[in-house]
Amino acid sequence: MKGKKEIIVATIVVALVLLTLFFYLMGTGKIELNQIGLVGIALVLVGLAMYIIWDKIRNVQKGLPGKDERTISISYKAGYYGFIAAIWSAVFTPLFFDVSSEYELKGGDVAAIVVLVSAFVFVVSYLYLYWKGK
Amino acid sequence: MKTHIKELRARYDLTQEDLAKKIGVRRETILFIEKGNYNPSLKLAHDIAKALQTTIDDLFIFEDE
Repeated sequence: MKGKKEIIVATIVVALVLLTLFFYLMGTGKIELNQIGLVGIALVLVGLAMYIIWDKIRNVQKGLPGKDERTISISYKAGYYGFIAAIWSAVFTPLFFDVSSEYELKGGDVAAIVVLVSAFVFVVSYLYLYWKGK
Repeated sequence: MKTHIKELRARYDLTQEDLAKKIGVRRETILFIEKGNYNPSLKLAHDIAKALQTTIDDLFIFEDE
């Protein structure tokens, strides 16, 4: 039952993210190159999250738990990597844009990049550890 | 770390999925333990040993032994 609840919540979150992206794209009008990159990363993240949800549904349908000690331990490790990535991206993103271009990032841009980078690192390391076994 | 899980599963005619259901973990977890890619917690090792009617000592082979 607990596994089912988590699947429902995760599905709602993914649907809300897709809806937000849809409204963002509708409201933007003309999309710039850097926005395509950010939206692309968000879509990749949504795709990977959908894969994780589908995998949980498959297990629950077979009568197996959606998560166990291995997946919980993987989540903790991936969360740690995501947290480290968030810290370093917050430090290096403004520095990188300062050195490489004239464009000065706004606080909102940095926050968006930090969220995307940490989420990307979390999902990628989760899947890597999931397939590797530990 | 190596294990005797595969041999014991065969003895009791259990698939990885059957064993996973018995102890309440995902099938992949059994697969990775069998392959030596995941070290289970003491509780999980105990549950597997109990399900296969053996002891932890007989189930797992540690590299230095």
